[in-house]
Amino acid sequence: MTVNFDNAATTFPKPVSVRQAAAKAISELGGNAGRGGHDLARRTSDAVYSARETAASFFGASPENTVFALNCTHALNMAIQGIMSEGGHMIISSIEHNSVSRPAYALFRQGRISLSCADADTDPDKTVENFRSLIRSDTKAVVCTAAGNVTGQIMPYRRIAQFCRENGICFIVDGAQACGVLPLTLEDGFNILCTAGHKGLYGITGTGLLISDGLFPIKPIIQGGTGSSSSLLTQPSLLPESLESGTLNTPGIMSLKAGINFVSRKGIDNIREHEESLCRIFIDGLREIPGTSVYRSPDAEYVPIVSFNISSASPEKTAAMLAQQGFCLRAGYHCAALAHASLGTKHGTVRFSPSVFSREEDVHRLLRLLGSIQENKADL
Amino acid sequence: MQNQRNDRLSCTLAMPSYTYAKKAEGLLRQRSKAVKIVRREQTSVSGCGYDIVVSGNCQAARAILDRASVPYTEVSHDS
Repeated sequence: MTVNFDNAATTFPKPVSVRQAAAKAISELGGNAGRGGHDLARRTSDAVYSARETAASFFGASPENTVFALNCTHALNMAIQGIMSEGGHMIISSIEHNSVSRPAYALFRQGRISLSCADADTDPDKTVENFRSLIRSDTKAVVCTAAGNVTGQIMPYRRIAQFCRENGICFIVDGAQACGVLPLTLEDGFNILCTAGHKGLYGITGTGLLISDGLFPIKPIIQGGTGSSSSLLTQPSLLPESLESGTLNTPGIMSLKAGINFVSRKGIDNIREHEESLCRIFIDGLREIPGTSVYRSPDAEYVPIVSFNISSASPEKTAAMLAQQGFCLRAGYHCAALAHASLGTKHGTVRFSPSVFSREEDVHRLLRLLGSIQENKADL
Repeated sequence: MQNQRNDRLSCTLAMPSYTYAKKAEGLLRQRSKAVKIVRREQTSVSGCGYDIVVSGNCQAARAILDRASVPYTEVSHDS
């Protein structure tokens, strides 16, 4: 039996309603949204707009400022490259995923922007001060994860949003690990939120969102067909179509609508409490096993993710042994070079990340297996 | 007579995208305005797109859209 404790990568299983929504879209929504006036196109267009309204409402945004993306990386690249298109100074945190650090470093190495990295301390006051101390007269954007994907550390994004507002700086948030377990909305003060549709929002892979408050224009990085004004060679300037060139992933979008509705029905707080209780059981159990390291600090708050290592095996070897017994956990650097450099985890970590569907009994079985591996008693 | 003539008025507003056409439709229907989205039959200088056809008091309908900052271009005003 396969048990997925790698839900930070993508949630699985998906709710029944999500699977049904994707299947229904494939069967019934056979048009290309926003293109054409025939029945197929209209029904598909109306369905996509309904999904847009659902996503917008969930994040306290307006539908026209809610952009469908292919994933969070796509959304972040649109935001970062779009906001920094004219150059300037950008600040990122020391625990950013490569979907932030790679486009940032690419722009920096091309000589198009200057870049600073703010240390993410487990003390939020120090983190805020680390960001604030890097602000310059030409700082145009701050990009910060709401919660890191390696340890799950929650960043003080509301306080960062406040000083960004005070300084006229665009604040872009990576919500990939936070959306669905933290109640992120535009009222938190960020200007652009980028997130995955297929993690805490329980849509299928190939989905993401870019939510904007409309204050900072985002220059498109992809030009193409948008369904209107087709005789113009210039890209439309209005969201969302300006950032949605090409055919949309209709089954993905409809699955995302169903996923958001699922999360709303369950309740974000209930989901987080369930997952965090499993994390607490897991951490308590790990601490009973000699030679384990858990990367959590009592000073910080976390979304339900736990990074750990055991002394008897490397992270990749540990994950491989767990996989042989049906437990799916991700090991290594988790596409987060900066985060692991900050942690000092030279060989990476093993990451435990439950979902709303994860069961306590499976956590106990995982702990027993880890105990056996650590004692070299597992017959592997 | 004047009021009856206003009630039969309709206007066509060109919307910049289907998203804005839907937004306009929602706003106007909330205010009990009769509105429908149509594919633009005559391509304009910019090309294809979507219009909304509003029946009734067009001035009031435009005011609703203006207050919500919904962009549009008036194509025709029928009486």
